Amino acid sequence: MSFLTPLFFLGVAALAAPILVHLVRRTRARRVQFPALVFVRQVPQRTIRRRTLHNILLMLLRCLAILLIVIAFTRPFFSGGSAAKDNSAAGATVILIDNSLSMRREGLFAEAQRRAESALDDARNDEQVALMSFDKRYTVLNRFLAEKNRVRSGIMSLTAGWDGTDYEQALRGAESLLSEVETTGPKRIVMISDFQMPGWTQASATFKLSNNTQLTTLDVGGNNPPPNIAITNVEARGVVFGQKYLDNVVVHVSNFGDTPKDHIQVDFQINEQTVEKRDISLNSRDSRVVEFTGFNLNEGANRCTIDIGTGDFAPDNRFYFTLRRETPAKALIIEGASRGRSDSLHLQSALSADETLPFAFTLKSAGSVDPASVSDYKLMVLNDAGPISSALADTLVRFVNAGGQVIVSTGPKTQADTLNASLQTVLPAVLREAVQTKAGESVAITEVKFDHPIFEVFQESGRLASANVIGYFRSEPRANAAVLARFEDGSPALVEASTGKGRVLLFTSSLGPSWNDLPLTPLYLPFIHQMVRYAGTSEENAWSSLGETFTVGKQKEAAPPAVDTPSGARLSETRLTPDGDLLVTAREPGFYRLRYNGAPGFAAVNIDGAEGDFTKLNLGEFIAGVTGGAGTAEGSEANRNASNEEVESRQRVWWSLLLVALLLLLAESFLARRTKMVKMIG
Amino acid sequence: MQPATTPARFLDPELLGRIGSLELLARAVVEGFMSGLHRSPYTGFSTEFTEYRQYNPGDDLRYLDWRLLGRTDRYFIKKYRADTNTQCHLLIDTSASMDYAHASSVTKLQYAQFLAASLAYLLNRQQDAVGLVAFAEKVHTHVPARNRTGHMRTIFGNLSMLQAGGETHLAASLHQLAEILTRRGIVVIISDFYDQADRLQESFQHLRFKGHDLVAFQVLDQNELDFDFKDPVLLLEDAETQEQMPVLPDVVMSGYRERMRKHVEDMRRCASTNNVDFELLTTKQPLDFALFSFLSRRSGK
Repeated sequence: MSFLTPLFFLGVAALAAPILVHLVRRTRARRVQFPALVFVRQVPQRTIRRRTLHNILLMLLRCLAILLIVIAFTRPFFSGGSAAKDNSAAGATVILIDNSLSMRREGLFAEAQRRAESALDDARNDEQVALMSFDKRYTVLNRFLAEKNRVRSGIMSLTAGWDGTDYEQALRGAESLLSEVETTGPKRIVMISDFQMPGWTQASATFKLSNNTQLTTLDVGGNNPPPNIAITNVEARGVVFGQKYLDNVVVHVSNFGDTPKDHIQVDFQINEQTVEKRDISLNSRDSRVVEFTGFNLNEGANRCTIDIGTGDFAPDNRFYFTLRRETPAKALIIEGASRGRSDSLHLQSALSADETLPFAFTLKSAGSVDPASVSDYKLMVLNDAGPISSALADTLVRFVNAGGQVIVSTGPKTQADTLNASLQTVLPAVLREAVQTKAGESVAITEVKFDHPIFEVFQESGRLASANVIGYFRSEPRANAAVLARFEDGSPALVEASTGKGRVLLFTSSLGPSWNDLPLTPLYLPFIHQMVRYAGTSEENAWSSLGETFTVGKQKEAAPPAVDTPSGARLSETRLTPDGDLLVTAREPGFYRLRYNGAPGFAAVNIDGAEGDFTKLNLGEFIAGVTGGAGTAEGSEANRNASNEEVESRQRVWWSLLLVALLLLLAESFLARRTKMVKMIG
Repeated sequence: MQPATTPARFLDPELLGRIGSLELLARAVVEGFMSGLHRSPYTGFSTEFTEYRQYNPGDDLRYLDWRLLGRTDRYFIKKYRADTNTQCHLLIDTSASMDYAHASSVTKLQYAQFLAASLAYLLNRQQDAVGLVAFAEKVHTHVPARNRTGHMRTIFGNLSMLQAGGETHLAASLHQLAEILTRRGIVVIISDFYDQADRLQESFQHLRFKGHDLVAFQVLDQNELDFDFKDPVLLLEDAETQEQMPVLPDVVMSGYRERMRKHVEDMRRCASTNNVDFELLTTKQPLDFALFSFLSRRSGK
């Protein structure tokens, strides 16, 4: 039997009332000297014993009635799953200890360990107990053991970690572990945590415990979590190609407390030198965005930090990220031979307008390109290049297979058959006939995949459809190609396909003004820039989250460099990608030092920003959510997946208790009245 | 019990004033208590001539009227009325049961002391001889009846020294007193009479046989009649035997009252049978009421 509102057991103190009344009313008989005792002695005295029995009976009735009322208010219920269980048999228990970052708050984890030990002590000697810790993931520390001492030493060896919290994941792991054990006794999960809200979202909850698993929650977080201000995110471009950082470093600061906070110093440092400070204020439960831009960067990796001096929970008051300044790679624009003005004028102008692009472009005509020099480039742009030599075509195919990036655009000079034939293996689509709209008519670019990196910047405006296209090639995408945008008639406009280690983007209209007015619209510049960025380089994150895996490139060296953790320890991980890059799973926040020869590299790792939100999870909703409706308060057990009728049926016992209490009170009234009548008649 | 310290305590002026207002009535009714107002029930040899009677052999020659013999040559004996030479003994029960007071501040023994003092004072004003006997398990105080100057001080002194204690053997004590009080007179018994009526009857008969005129005052506390306790339960203790008994007053009350009423009736019947003046007094009743009642009952004697 369990209780929905065990706090009402405090009402048991009310039992003192009838007992006190009984004792007070039963005050010691006053001793009185009385000379005519001889006449008193002649009166039968059986009544005294009867009266005493009556009084005791009355007291017992009152006590029992109060006790039943108190129990009724605690809303007892019987767990249906356990009813079918053999409770006499030894069961299995999984103790789940939260060792997420939020448990680093003072005293919390020690309390969790103490409660875990208590839970261990409460288990029967022959009960099998397993120990798991969890944050966003779970770790099995001890599989089912009947030796409590080993589990106890496992508990004591635990420490709080740095990662966020995921209660569902922990319960999944615990139930999976429970499924391994064969027992006819009860199966139980004891979850010990501070139960913070970010760890479980009812709206996205998908997991429920099975019917025969009981859940006991032990909350060590207290009911009044401390206020906390945290840096929850920093948005920055991890790699730049100019000295000045022209994008915005966007810092998100949140106040998770219920009290406003003024004069919060946001300190931006690069390589431990303060670049800029901002003073901000935050209302309760408020978030602010602080932006930094226009600062200079050194060549290579730059260690950047954002600090807020709030003096509260320290781990989320500093955010780490890296900004690497690199030299732009070489890129080649190949165009068709032309007289007079270059067909690539607009393209060149657009590419030269942004110093942050990862490429330095060179323009050549198709006939002047030395195939042997192609390997010097990282990106090739075939801008309506017309017929190309077979040598150049073969070189381009090899270039793509070796990891090169190619952007192909068509136009009036493009011969579909020739292009299809020469770049057959790498072209994402087979070009068909060219389409020219009637005079005064045009088609728009529609069906755009705005979630693609090229088009994500247009997601808000949606103005891409305003470009008027008057000429394009119909095309047939290859099997491995992805159509990123289409024209109104459904013909692909931008197609992408990976071949070998490289990638080819095919734009079936022109990048110049010959077949569309895109170069004359404000859309052109971002479209070209996004396409070049996407095609030309792999985006590198400025930081990784705890638990994520980042790669440490081998660069020109034969082996990946040694890696030191933020705490200074040498990392022993040896997992490599097929290309020989080292895979590192981030385990602690700070800068991982990548010990390259010459200039070292850095990888920034940060905690989960939401972990600083100590707001309490609604435990009733949580238990109800993961157990199927039988929500209970902390410390009690819950069974799950019961229908509403079953849940109601299990809880209906309070009604019977109240009824019995009422009957007892009626009996008490009758007895008390009878005693009074006896007095009056006497 | 709070013993009286001075005889004056029993002569409360207010009380005496109230008793004094009854004095004329008392003289008119009770023979022998107040000189000149009533006849002594016992013919004695005082100086007041009442009648002649013919001399019979054996008569005391001191009372022969020699003058009449000289004038008439007949033998006559002079008869005189005695001048209040009556003896009155006040018998006070001082057993532990008399040391009881429920609501009032006067215990039964104190009330008995007041009553005895008042009676003694009245009797002394009438030049009667007053004696005092106090007894519990046995007679422990005996002041013979006297009519001398200063005797009252002795009476009052002894009265004030009385203290309750010991068990009551009332019948036995009365038998003992019947042997002690050789000269006949009035015997006033002040007690709660917690003894069996049949045994008391024998002792009354004994005293009557000795020629005493008996007056019995049964002094009780009102609560001994009512058994009116507010407590739900009591542990009653017998003052004489220290026996204890838990009781529920509301349950016991009716039975007790019945038995007490029967006891009092038995006492009245016993007294009536033996020609004893019996009066039930409670410690709340004024003393003048007791005296008035007493004198009223004595008026016919």
